[in-house]
Amino acid sequence: MPDPEPLLKMRGIKKSFDHVEVLKGIDLDVLAGEVHAVVGENGAGKSTLMNILAGIHQPSAGTISFDNQTNLTLPDTKSAQRLGISIVFQERSLFHQLTIAENVFAARQPVTKFGAIDRKKLARDTRALLERVGLKLDPKLLVGDLSPAQQQMIEIAKALSLQAKLLIFDEPTAALTLVETNALFDVIRQLKEANVGIIYISHRLEEIFHIADRVTILKDGSWQGTLRVSETDTDELVRRMVGRDLELRHSDAIAAGNPILFEIKEITDSPQLPHPLLRDVSLSVRAGEIVGLAGLAGAGRTELALSIFGMRPRAGGEVYVSGRPVRIRSPREAITAGIGYVYEDRKDGGLFLDMSIAGNIAAAKLDIFGSWWMDRAKEITVATQFKRSMQITCRNVQQAVQKLSGGNQQKVVLAKWLLVRPKVLIVDEPTRGVDIGAKAEVHSLLYEFARQGSAVIVISSELPEILDVSDRIYIMREGKITGMLPREGATEERIMRLASLFT
Amino acid sequence: MVQTLTSIPKKQRALPGLRLGRLPTPSRELALIGVTVFTVVVFSILYPISFPSLDNFRAVIRNLTFQGIIAIGMMIMLIGGNFDLSVGSTASLIGVITGALMKKMGWPVPLAILTGLCLAATCGFINGFIVAKVRVNALITTLGTMGIFQGVALLIGGPGIVYLPDSFARLGQSRLLGIETPVWTLLLLGLFGHYAMAHTRFFRQFYFIGSNAKAAHLSGINVEGLQIISFIIMGLLAGIAGILYAARIATASSTIGVGAELQAITAAILGGASLSGGRGTIWGALVGVFFMALMQNVLIIARFSSEWQGIILGAVLVAAVAIDSVLNRKRVS
Repeated sequence: MPDPEPLLKMRGIKKSFDHVEVLKGIDLDVLAGEVHAVVGENGAGKSTLMNILAGIHQPSAGTISFDNQTNLTLPDTKSAQRLGISIVFQERSLFHQLTIAENVFAARQPVTKFGAIDRKKLARDTRALLERVGLKLDPKLLVGDLSPAQQQMIEIAKALSLQAKLLIFDEPTAALTLVETNALFDVIRQLKEANVGIIYISHRLEEIFHIADRVTILKDGSWQGTLRVSETDTDELVRRMVGRDLELRHSDAIAAGNPILFEIKEITDSPQLPHPLLRDVSLSVRAGEIVGLAGLAGAGRTELALSIFGMRPRAGGEVYVSGRPVRIRSPREAITAGIGYVYEDRKDGGLFLDMSIAGNIAAAKLDIFGSWWMDRAKEITVATQFKRSMQITCRNVQQAVQKLSGGNQQKVVLAKWLLVRPKVLIVDEPTRGVDIGAKAEVHSLLYEFARQGSAVIVISSELPEILDVSDRIYIMREGKITGMLPREGATEERIMRLASLFT
Repeated sequence: MVQTLTSIPKKQRALPGLRLGRLPTPSRELALIGVTVFTVVVFSILYPISFPSLDNFRAVIRNLTFQGIIAIGMMIMLIGGNFDLSVGSTASLIGVITGALMKKMGWPVPLAILTGLCLAATCGFINGFIVAKVRVNALITTLGTMGIFQGVALLIGGPGIVYLPDSFARLGQSRLLGIETPVWTLLLLGLFGHYAMAHTRFFRQFYFIGSNAKAAHLSGINVEGLQIISFIIMGLLAGIAGILYAARIATASSTIGVGAELQAITAAILGGASLSGGRGTIWGALVGVFFMALMQNVLIIARFSSEWQGIILGAVLVAAVAIDSVLNRKRVS
């Protein structure tokens, strides 16, 4: 029997952003009534591929066929929805202050012949959709009052109301408990029986073996094969996801005898936080050492950095710098204690975009420019030194940071912290959105900083980067440290296992 | 390899765009000075006798002191990413309280002024504490206190307190080198404010907070504390403005500050501030105030009814910000 014509057929999909090719010719087939998993590391191109399907991005090359229509273009989300392609977001697109019914039928409410919203029909239709996803809720409840799992189901109901033929689930279980996950799987099985095609994206490989029929693997934007789930195993998936030869970083091994410069013991989130995550996190960094902190999105790495930096209330735990306990309740106190933190999103928490390069570099160390009178000339001299030593590409240091490239902006943020000369520097996603050349420069700056005897903690979602720069690697999952690997024994496979399979 | 090769022509194509973006765009301050000079020239030609006289300009300057002092504070607020709608009410309230203390309670004038200034700082502190610590939005907080301060001013002063002591009135009417004390006060405050915002470490921090409060906090800047201080400064300046005005007319009117908050915000924005913070200069605010006072003067001379003032200033404000926004968008893209 010949294979049925696939519901979705993507061929040779390419996509570039700012000269960087993030998808290098992807093929993907999804059959009606099939659950097709797409896996890959962060940055492998899964989200970009899905955004192309949803009409958010347009491919630079390649063809898309869907439901017997060939050579489709999806210029916007509306046209994708009209075809029957819907993405189930992680509660992102819900209006928390509106009711379930209003959310499900946002802007498409049924109307009476007088043009008013037909509330009876709205409630009736919503209730029917809720039943399909296994929810017995009053459509008049506010979405904000529902649990994350119920909100997830509302998202699905919303997609169903659009008569979706292809549903895309992007990390649907990230916020769900085990019981809720099983309920979601029941719904997915029902959808499957109704001949809906499903693309399922998840970091949790065990789920894929539970629910998916086939799996497509992406790595660095290229297609690594499509396998039947029944004919493969975790090891093969992991190998295909990460499989590459490791390039070793700088050769100088750190003196293992160096004293411990930075240590945290049993850091635990305050239970008053809306989502307490960190539990008994302990780690230590020696002088001159670069320690990597690996983990999947939501594992708690940034939360740990924020906790150390006085931005996240703690229920318990101690921080030691140079062997002495320090009390940190604000970033100011953290800086005084000798800790610097390069925030994960430079535009959100790193840069003063409309200010000059010089102003940005001075921001965390204003006191060296005078206690009252601000020596603006010195500000410029200092910044010019950094411009030269870090090779920041700009006309002059009075230029606004806004106009610099991502790599140069990141260098400005790093310069701000190098000026502070912290004993401990935590860098969070130091090369996100930075091109390859600038990335290497940022790395060598970190090596140099460590060589001068500071302790460096690198948080990164890119495993090759972590393996490249770290002397030791701690792996986190769900707010806990699940393992520590010395550089010699660390492989992407072992990290992935500790980050995703550990329970 | 292929990637880098194909990226080269793209980069070259991007260059002209970049160069276009590098064209110097005139700052709002300079543009406003240009418009102001233009207005002066045009009206000097149209009304050669009544407009370009020294007396007329002295009157314009004298009348803008109240607005000017408040606009200095508003500029500091806006640079730090905040604003204060209660300043007009604060000015009225402090004027009335100071007047009541010396007239009804018979306090010595210096003590009454000092008490008034302390209360002005307290008004600012109340605003600052609610905004920075309790984290109520500045619009809502100061809208609320605007009503409260105005109400208290009316309770204490009724419509106003008249015939204030001569020793107090002298503060608003005496001259030094031919220039009235309130004008001197404005000049000194303007100079000091400019020096502080442009050159002192402490006040420079407001630019960081206004530009990106989260990044400022992560850089170790005491965002909450500085926000409270900016509200206190604002309160103090509003108090000074209210007291000086009461001295000038020897009457503490309970409604002198009505509308002052929006005029101060208008002046500051015309002079280069942005509601999203991080931008602006003190001298820009003063140019803004001068421009507004000039428009008012010009319209009176040209015998336009007072309604036109609002229409024209409103149009100028929207036009100035719209042009700025369009230029900015071009610069970014």
